[in-house]
Amino acid sequence: MTAFLEWGTLAVCCTVLLLRVPDAVRGRNRTVFGILLLATLCSLLAVSGPYEAIDGVLGGWNLTHLILRFLVFATVLLVGLRLTRGLSAATGYRLIAGSIGRWALGISCVAVTVLFLLMDTRGSSAGLAALQGSGGRNAFLAPFYAAAGRSYPAFVSLILMAPLLAAARSQMPRLVRAAALVTLLGALAVVLSIPASFAPPDWALGQHVVNYSAVLAYVLGLALFWFSGVIAGKSGNTNATFSKITD
Amino acid sequence: MPLPAKAFQLWLHSVAPTASTADICRISGIKRTTLAQQLVRGKVAETTLVSISRALHLSPLAALASFDSFADLSSPPLPTPAELVSQIATMDLLRAVISRSSPAYGGYGDDGSSRTPALSAAPHATSVRNWVDSIDDGELRHRVSAATGIAPQNYSAQLTANRMSPELAVATARAAGIGFTGGLVATGLITEDEAGWPPGAKQAALDAVSDGELTALAGERLLSLGKTLRRQEQEQAQTQKIWENLG
Repeated sequence: MTAFLEWGTLAVCCTVLLLRVPDAVRGRNRTVFGILLLATLCSLLAVSGPYEAIDGVLGGWNLTHLILRFLVFATVLLVGLRLTRGLSAATGYRLIAGSIGRWALGISCVAVTVLFLLMDTRGSSAGLAALQGSGGRNAFLAPFYAAAGRSYPAFVSLILMAPLLAAARSQMPRLVRAAALVTLLGALAVVLSIPASFAPPDWALGQHVVNYSAVLAYVLGLALFWFSGVIAGKSGNTNATFSKITD
Repeated sequence: MPLPAKAFQLWLHSVAPTASTADICRISGIKRTTLAQQLVRGKVAETTLVSISRALHLSPLAALASFDSFADLSSPPLPTPAELVSQIATMDLLRAVISRSSPAYGGYGDDGSSRTPALSAAPHATSVRNWVDSIDDGELRHRVSAATGIAPQNYSAQLTANRMSPELAVATARAAGIGFTGGLVATGLITEDEAGWPPGAKQAALDAVSDGELTALAGERLLSLGKTLRRQEQEQAQTQKIWENLG
């Protein structure tokens, strides 16, 4: 089941990434392409095979996992900036790009790094699954490390919730509202993943479902936003509303 | 509640005893599956009845009146002048304002009405809301929601969408203590002719409105049209911004 989630998420990310290639070549919204590229890289590093191969090169002490955390932070930062700008959420944009957002990012980075260094991380293991089961100091620290890795994504997701909800409830085209709703579900999953980090080990599958559904919903939401624009085509004539209303 | 299927079948048998269901569907242009589904569910839509009576060259009003829920329709009183004016499209009202003005502004003065184009047929783009506004004494919406159990916000949503079920139109007319035909015409169920309105009724009602009243009415209509257009333009701009940033 976990392998299915890992590979499924990677497949979805790759598909959406490939769909966006033509637009990126034309120079349209390369940031969105960058977000998808980072998301694909993150989901690649979440799969055991590639993770162990790369970590082996880096010395086999799970440094890759720490790098993965930083990649996730970068992805979330870009998503937050793009979405708040796209949804005209000025307050949200200021919260993410302003000093509060920078402090949140800084503290999260420091917390993740310190907790990582406090743990005994020898022996490559994707998702640090083996470390958590090894008992002692690691078993105590691992949930805190996991939660710290989700703190900044949850901070951004919390900010995104209000504008996404407003967009989903607006009178905009259906696909745009659907995209906002799907992304909102992703934000919800990210926020839920913090308490899920402290769940007992028996609930590992539930944790995985929450984590991967967050990635999937965010990526699919972005894909839907893109798709809604593609099928709407070009019609920016504001006068068109007049004939629509007055028959 | 739409029409009960049993009563509908009795009616159908009395007006077209020899016709099969297939014949009825063919002449009235109703899909066979649609009619079959309505009969199975036990609820036949009023629009079905109206289409069939039109195809059989019967009066839709008389056909509706043969059902208990529309019994009061058998000898409908004429709509009030205010109701008639409410069924004049906003653009026709504006044309009337101009045609009454002095020749310097493109008008014809007193004999304006005979020289302007004929009024367009009801219903128009905001028929339903304008009809309810024309019969509302300030408490109407409360009485309708008390009588039918519809929540006030759902009622307003129907007005905004320029849509109202025939049952609700009848309930509204009943709560206002007026004839039913105004609502049935405003919701587009039957035409003005079918409702028994004399051919020049709307024009006569419009001619009886004083310049001051006409101008104030046209102003109100323009104001609400402007609000609707602005909201649409805002939403369009919002959607455009989403596509620019995320598309």
